[in-house]
Order: sequence, then structure tokens, then C-alpha cells
Amino acid sequence: MATEKPPRFDQIDWDDISPSSRLDLSINSKLMVLTGLPVLLLLLYDLLFVDELQATVPKLGRDLGLAAQFEALGLDYDPTTVDFLFVFTLFLFAWYVVLPLYQNPRLTSYYWAKFRRNRPAVLSLLWLGIVFAGGIIGPQFISAPEQDILLGNQPPVFMQIDTNHVAQCVGPIEDGRCHGTWEHPLGTDRAGKDVFSSVIYGMTISMQIAFITTTIVATIGISVGTLSAYSGGWVDELLMRFVDIVLSFPTFLFFLLILYIYGAGLGMFILVFSLFGWGATSRYVRSKALSVSEEEFIKATKISGASTRRIIRRHIVPNTASSIITQLTLLVPGFLLAEAQLAFLGIGDSNIPSWGQLISSGRNALDFAPWIVMVPGTALFLTILAFNFLGDALLDALNPEAQAERDQ
Amino acid sequence: MGLARYIGARVIWAGVVSLIIVTITFLLLALAPNPSISEAATQAALQGGDPTEAVERQQELRGLDQPLHVRYLDFLEGVYTLNWGWSEQRSQPVIEALGEGIYYTAQYSIPWTVLTLSIGPLVGVYSAANMYSWRDHLATGFAFFGWAIPNFFFGIILLYIFGVWLQWVPIQYSTDVAVFSVANAKQLLLPVFVLVTGSIGAVMRVSRNESAEFQNATFMKTARAKGVSPTRAYAYHVMRPTMVPLSTTIVSQLLVIFLGSSLLVELVFGIPGLGRLTFDALLAQDTNLVLGSTLLFTFIAVVGNLIEDIVFTLLDPRISYDDR
Repeated sequence: MATEKPPRFDQIDWDDISPSSRLDLSINSKLMVLTGLPVLLLLLYDLLFVDELQATVPKLGRDLGLAAQFEALGLDYDPTTVDFLFVFTLFLFAWYVVLPLYQNPRLTSYYWAKFRRNRPAVLSLLWLGIVFAGGIIGPQFISAPEQDILLGNQPPVFMQIDTNHVAQCVGPIEDGRCHGTWEHPLGTDRAGKDVFSSVIYGMTISMQIAFITTTIVATIGISVGTLSAYSGGWVDELLMRFVDIVLSFPTFLFFLLILYIYGAGLGMFILVFSLFGWGATSRYVRSKALSVSEEEFIKATKISGASTRRIIRRHIVPNTASSIITQLTLLVPGFLLAEAQLAFLGIGDSNIPSWGQLISSGRNALDFAPWIVMVPGTALFLTILAFNFLGDALLDALNPEAQAERDQ
Repeated sequence: MGLARYIGARVIWAGVVSLIIVTITFLLLALAPNPSISEAATQAALQGGDPTEAVERQQELRGLDQPLHVRYLDFLEGVYTLNWGWSEQRSQPVIEALGEGIYYTAQYSIPWTVLTLSIGPLVGVYSAANMYSWRDHLATGFAFFGWAIPNFFFGIILLYIFGVWLQWVPIQYSTDVAVFSVANAKQLLLPVFVLVTGSIGAVMRVSRNESAEFQNATFMKTARAKGVSPTRAYAYHVMRPTMVPLSTTIVSQLLVIFLGSSLLVELVFGIPGLGRLTFDALLAQDTNLVLGSTLLFTFIAVVGNLIEDIVFTLLDPRISYDDR
């Protein structure tokens, strides 16, 4: 007598497919906790225990009784809240975007093959890679641009300027014209700040804005969108009406008002813009989630006894991912532009070395020192362009239906 | 639900949204320290008076000693009866100052809107009809360029090239010229061009991609088979369904640029319009005027979204009012 039951296909042991215990995390989540938690703890420490005038890391050294060691290692950073959040989002990016690409080499090479066909997109990715690397590594090697009024308006290499406009020329002077040197490869602005290093420091700001806003917008947008799609009824109605309000909010002007009343730095900018920027994303996710939840495979999963949580996490969110990624790449340029515009107006925090700041500082010198405006302006233009091309290419690469439609 | 009821419901909803935004604005202002009060305290202290007394007097003067809800109702009444206060910086009522701003803003906004509305969809459909030809590539390149270049940066460069170098257009905006004159057209040429380039890109892209879908639709084949001329086929059978998704893009694009970039474009070209007004008020710490222009822009945004919703339903007869 066979006591063993015959194998059946309609009953699924869910524990077998993925560990049921919530404590049993995937390697990605483990790495995230391992790296993200210390960052958040440090942020809390910074917010609660460190005065505004104290530098965070040396204070930590003193509190731990390791001041001497910290000093010997040269640990004297004073990161801001934005810096902490930036590092945190970088870890998120590494463990949930880059690592999965490495874990699934087959899919990665499949998408890459499709992506590679779009040449502008590859170039865009390259440029964004430069901005990313420059923004993260650059400030470690290049010292922050310093004011030196005597060295104002130095021309870039291979360019020249009338000596009337420069107080002191670093390079050779020929026929009353000051020539550029490699000391300031892209010249200096009116206050004598090196344009090249200003642009590098501007990359950091741009990347901080891009990463942190994307994370916040994605988190809120995906949560609200899926919740709305999955609960339906009055919850859906309420959330979508709320989205209506968020969408009709004139964020840029509102930020001006906040700036006027309270004054605001980069952190406030990121917070306000991402808190009012998720409306379109959540609408997008909702409509996508609604159409996915009608699919046969969702019904099959449901019949086999998968929990709602599981369906949402394993099937609905991943299936909306392609549209979310595209949507986010198209959202980021808007934030970058808004920051540049505010910096250009000169009413934000003038200590942030962003591209907009540099453009605004060179505006009056356009007729004799055009590089002050042109270099950061071009960098901004290229970055926005690259995000747009990338979004377009990702749409084609990640969405087979769009490709099929086009091939018809 | 009929069309009238649908529109009615939408209008009421727009009213609710504006109320919420006004409320948030009020809270922002109410919770913030008022600069003029601390200024009064400093003044009193400098002149040997009693700062606390000065603060109290200022608060009484501004009605800040009343409870929050009374102030809120007062504020609402003021906002909705268009009693927006006095602009200290310009020594005139806020409404009047805003009216002057609108006069100059409209002079470039109207041509800009008309041009975006007329050229964008046409070029988009044209590119879809000639997909992957060099004209299509040119249009696509232009769309991406206009979409990506920051308006204020583009404005500075164009002003430098055509104003300073070539001297084709005046560098300084003049308010003395008549509205309908060659001189005015000349000085508004660059701002309009910059704004059109900024807003037309998205319109061209969306109309191109959307109309590409309808070009090979069966109804187009039928129309062609019946011998409909290409112009008519594109005008009636492709343009019409394309306008439905496009209306959303157009309104939101125009709004985004109007609410954000027009301020900078006015600043770059020295046009004394609404954006310039807001900026000057911010610098001069003229709270009433800042508030007034923020509210005006907010109402424009709310009305714009309302128009978008209504146009969307009117254009697409398939949408039933019950679903929304």
C-alpha cells in the first residue's frame, strides 16, 4: 500500500517557494540592513546629540573615546542630513538595482543587448556615469573651489581674455590678452573659483537630488498606487482625490513661499519637491497595477492560495516596475531643473555649489567670460538630455509590448 | 450623470482643491514668525522703547491677537472676495499690481500658447506620417533639445547672441512701445521663442507617438479605401483621437512652464510681468504681494487642471461620466 500521496499541482507549499518567516531575509535585504542601519543610526546621532556647530565625526570619536585614532585616520567629516540620506539611497541603489543585475546575468545581458541598440541612450548612460562617479569620487580628490578675487575671470585652456578683465593672470600674457592654463582647465568665475571643480561639486548636488528624490517619490508613489488599486472602493476614491490635490499644487511657487517665510536649504528643497512630486507616479502605478491584477496569472496565483501581501510584492509591484523606472527617469530632470532655477534666482542657500549658482554668477560676465555660464549650463543641459534619452530607451528595453507595437 | 452635472461636480471639486491650498498657505503664514513684527521689536529696542509693547501693538494692528480660527475665516473672506491687501513695496493694492503684471505676462503668454497649440500637434502628426525620415529625425532632435535645455540658460544665450553680438533685438525690454507694434514684437520674439521651444518638445513627442498608433488603425484603412484625401484623413481620423491624450500633455506642459520657467524668462529678458513682480516682492519682503501672486498662480493651476479634465471628456465621447 502506497501511503505517499501522489504529487498534485493544485496545492502549493508556499514555504517551499520562498521562506515564510519574515526574519529570513534575502541576501539583498541582509546587506541593506547591514549597511543602511548604521547610516540611519549615525543620522539619528547627528540629529539628536550633535550641535550645529560641531563636526559630527570628531564628536563621535570623542564620545566613543577614540578621538586619537579618529584623528590619526583623518576622520574629520561633518556630513549633513542630506549626505546621510544620500549614502542611504546609494546603498538602496547598490543592493536593489545593481546587485540584482549581477545576480541575474542572463536577463541583464538580454536587456543590455536591447539597450545597446539605442546609441544615444548608451552615450547618455556614459555621461550619467561620469556625473555619478564625478559626484561621488570627485570631492574626495579635488579640493572645494575657493574664492580668490585676484584670480577672477581666468580663461580656460586654449582661450584668452583681455587683460582689462583680470586682476592677475596665471598664464602667459601675449598682446594684452591673458591666456588660460592647465591650473584652471575650465577657467575661473568672477570671484576666482575654479569652474572645473565647481562643476564637479555641482555633480554631487545633482546626484544627491536625483537619488534622494527618486527614492522618496518611488516609495510614496508605489505604496499609494498599489494600495489604491488593490483596495478599491472609498479608499481608492479618497487616495486618488488626494493625488488630484498633490498634482494641482504649484510646487515651485510654493517652495518660493516656504523659502520666503522660513528660509530653506537643499534638504528642504528635496523634501518639498519629492513630497509634492509623486502624484503622477502613483497614478501611473495604479493604472498599471489595475491592469496587471486582471491578468490570468494573478488569478491562478490567487486560486493556489497565495496571500494578498505575496501577490502584491511578488507579482504586482515587479510587473509595474518597468513603467515606474521610466517614469522616474523622466521625473528627475524636472527636479534638477527646479534646483537650478532656484539657484539662478539667487534666493536659495547661496552656499550650495550647484550648477545653477554658477550660471547665475556668470550672467553679467557673459560678454567677456562666457565659459562661466556655458560650462555649467552645458553640463545641466547634457544631464537633463541624458535622463530623457535613458527614459526613452528603458521604455523600449523593459517593455516588450512597446517594442512589438513599434515593429508592426 | 449628464455632461452638465459632470462639469458641475468638477467645478465644485476645483473649488475644494483651491480651498485646501489656500488653507495650507494660511497655516504656513500663521505658523511663521512675522518679519515685520520682529522688525518692530528691533526698532523699538533701538529707539529705547519697550520691545514687548511694540510687538503687542504690531500684533493688534495686524489682528494677530485674535484666535486662530477667527483669523482663518477673515483670511478666507479676504481671499475669496479678492480683498488681497495693500502692497507696501509698490504702494498700490495687490490686485492692481497683479493686474499690471498680467498685462505684460499676457503679451508673451498668448502668442506662446497659440504657437505651441498650433505647431506642436501638426509637426508631431507630420513626423508620424513620415516616420524615420530625415524630417522626422530633425523634429525629434529638436523636440529633445527644446525639452532638455533649461529655458533660462537658453534665454541668456539667445539674448547674448542676438542682442549683444548681432544686435538684432533690443537688450532692454521697453514698456513704452505699443502692444501691437513691430518694436514690441521684436522684443517679445526671443522670450516667445524660448518658451515655445520649451513646451513644444513634449507636445511633439506625444502627438507623434500617439498618432503613430492610429495611422495603421482599421478605420484609417477604411477611410483610405473610400478614397478620402490624405489631408482629410489625417485631419479627421488621426488628429481627433490624438487630441484626447494630447490635451492632457498640452495643458500640463503649459502649466509647468508657466508656473516655473516663465518667472525666470521674465527675469532674463527684463519683462515686468507676474514672475518679475513675484520675485521683486520676495526680495522686498512684501508679504501681501508675495501671497497675492502665489494665490493667483495657484488659481491658475487649479483652473488649468479643471480645463484639462473637461476638455478630456469633451474630446472623447467614449468616456462615460459615471466612471469618473
